[in-house]
Amino acid sequence: MSAVIFICRMELRRILTLRPVFSVMILAVVIYSAFYPQPYRAETLRDVPIALVDLDGTDSSRAFARRLDASADVAVVAAFPDLATAEHEVFARQLSGILVIPKFFERDLLHGRASPIALYADASYFLLYSRISSAVTALAKTMGSEVEAKRLIAANIDPAIAFAATDPMPLTAIPLFNPQGGYATYILPAALVLLLQQTMLIGVSLLGTYPKEWEAEAQKRKIGPIDRVVGCLLAYFVVEVCAFAFYLIAVPYLYGIPRLGSIWLIATVSFPFILAVGGLGMLMARMLSNPVLVQMVAAGMGMPFLFMSGFSWPADAIPATLRTAALVIPSTSAINALVNVSQLGASLPEVGPHVLTLIFLAVFYCGLVLFLEARAFRYETGNGG
Amino acid sequence: MRGKGNLRPGFLLVFVREVEQFRKLPVLLALTVLMPLFLMGILAVVFSQGLATRLPIAVLNLDGGDLSRSIIRTIDATPDTAVVINVSDLSEARRLILSGQVHGVLMIRDNLERDVFAGRRPEVVFFYNTQTLTAGNLTLRGVNAALAGVEGGIRLSLRTSHGEPVDIAQAALSPIPVQINPLFNPTMNYSHFLLAALLPAVLQIIVVTSTAYAVGRDVETRHRLRVLRRLGGGLWPAMFGKLLPYTLVFLFVLGISDLLLFLWFQLPLRGDRMLLLSAGLLFVLANQMFGAFLAVAMRPMALAISIGTFATAPAFGFMGIGFPRLGMTPFAYYWGEALPGTWYLTARIDQTLRGTPPDLSGKPLAVLLFMVIIFTALTALCLERNRIKRQQANHALEAVS
Repeated sequence: MSAVIFICRMELRRILTLRPVFSVMILAVVIYSAFYPQPYRAETLRDVPIALVDLDGTDSSRAFARRLDASADVAVVAAFPDLATAEHEVFARQLSGILVIPKFFERDLLHGRASPIALYADASYFLLYSRISSAVTALAKTMGSEVEAKRLIAANIDPAIAFAATDPMPLTAIPLFNPQGGYATYILPAALVLLLQQTMLIGVSLLGTYPKEWEAEAQKRKIGPIDRVVGCLLAYFVVEVCAFAFYLIAVPYLYGIPRLGSIWLIATVSFPFILAVGGLGMLMARMLSNPVLVQMVAAGMGMPFLFMSGFSWPADAIPATLRTAALVIPSTSAINALVNVSQLGASLPEVGPHVLTLIFLAVFYCGLVLFLEARAFRYETGNGG
Repeated sequence: MRGKGNLRPGFLLVFVREVEQFRKLPVLLALTVLMPLFLMGILAVVFSQGLATRLPIAVLNLDGGDLSRSIIRTIDATPDTAVVINVSDLSEARRLILSGQVHGVLMIRDNLERDVFAGRRPEVVFFYNTQTLTAGNLTLRGVNAALAGVEGGIRLSLRTSHGEPVDIAQAALSPIPVQINPLFNPTMNYSHFLLAALLPAVLQIIVVTSTAYAVGRDVETRHRLRVLRRLGGGLWPAMFGKLLPYTLVFLFVLGISDLLLFLWFQLPLRGDRMLLLSAGLLFVLANQMFGAFLAVAMRPMALAISIGTFATAPAFGFMGIGFPRLGMTPFAYYWGEALPGTWYLTARIDQTLRGTPPDLSGKPLAVLLFMVIIFTALTALCLERNRIKRQQANHALEAVS
């Protein structure tokens, strides 16, 4: 046991004293927690600028524009005489949409005919598009049913029945878990898990590529491979427990992201995840002997890892072979498990398959490290003897 | 004299020496060509479908009548959603959502059909998971469209049963129909939107870090920088001879990813291809010069690479593709402004999807050109300063001895 503690202490000291390792495992963790969420701080898009091309110029068309402007999603910032001028502004990225109210909009409404309007929305940025289109369709539907009800009432139908006839079977859509559809609430819980994996992966593999100062001392004490691996893992674990607590509990709290899961459940899921990443990091160190190489390989991997987890792009749409292959990366299962536990309040059985995968990865990676370490050890002592 | 011509210092000599490096150091080739292609390949496979269709949802049908079944059939028939399971109570549905097996659950209450035709306006409730924003919104879109269709049928039959002619009833159903025209990406294809932006973002990371690595290798050992300068016969030929091979390599990688997008994913090219190509060249150059600047300004090399990683790895969020820059906080907005990728993606979207007229396409290119000039000047300045410092140190050394 004292051997494990010795290795653990020496390894902790290396984490704190080796500058590249310190900057990745501790400094970067702190900096990223402040830096990474910046683009998403506003949570939602409000008042997306659109232009109005009002060819009708009547009470009804102006009422429509006014009510649209009053919605939180869009702001009518300009009025143009024709579509071509408005289009120019969309190309110049000053505006994201154009609402065209055609001539005789009011007359057709009063006549009892359908009176269509046209919306041109910038779909080269999906969030802008969905904001604009949902605001305009919602308003058109509301105003449409008002018009329809008025017509029915004018035809001597009881008001209650008239309103029922305009919308006999309303859909009540209830968003669960991220009710305001916040972008930070959506992306951060997953991205933070990925950041934890990447910083730990780089840190651990860097540690493995630098020479170990305690090697001579460990040989003198005759510390075996099991104690070495367990000692190292223990040291990484101590550091990562702090990082995980910071990223999974404190950072969401600071950014006002709700957390439904209990701390203990989050810890339970994190445990095999930390071990799996630790094992993978030690293996990576053996494969890439150069510390600079470790950094560069890991830097590019982040984005593909995030998308492979099936979080921002639904897993159902990812080809099955890639989905299966992605399971060898701990973050794939960890993102799903940790997000479901902490954001959705899932219980352990509900994330069971993900946790089982993580346990398997932890056993496999750490076991492989142990095997390689034991082989190297036997070789050395064999030579030495 | 002629025989020695080959050894005359100049741009070509440095260029050839750098190309030799690729052969000597296979790692360099792996980092600059194979890795970006591999990462881009993975992303391309992730988005290979382009559209997420038939997302699984569950149904809790407490009514069981004709109307409820036709609702379920219609929802299953929309491209966005697929009804994969019938649940018997809400707690079972909750379990399915929490374990990630379905993205939402549609609840049809008891006596729906009776209440609809009695004019009691019974609700149909759809619970959906917006923690995963994309999937949640897609399922809502599908359910919304399907239900509106079914409802339209009911409203039509309510009216025609009161003796209204079908054509008049049809027109009265929706007094203000909205014709929505999604500009530039009418099919809402994610591969044209997200993948087309992700690939350059990956390349940006690779260009900055590997240039920092390649230049850093020369900066770390003092005499190598001097050798490089001698070979080049001056600062500028040496610098361009050193960086040009990488420019070609990165352009090759960018070209492959663009070919993939244009040929396989059918990304439209509505703008000017020369503008697109020049934007690509400026993008690669700006990132290279940024990487080179980091390498000469910061030592050790690992620090330069770390800073490069820090600036580029989380850069995708700042480039405003997923969450537009319009809604960002001032800090995030201006940080995004300083990234070459932001401007390249602007130029790229302009020339591919949007087909922006040439008079409006100039700005991103001008900004990229400005970045290239700034970083080149900074790199040259650092190199000159180092040389002067070294010369002064040499003079001092001579004076002492």
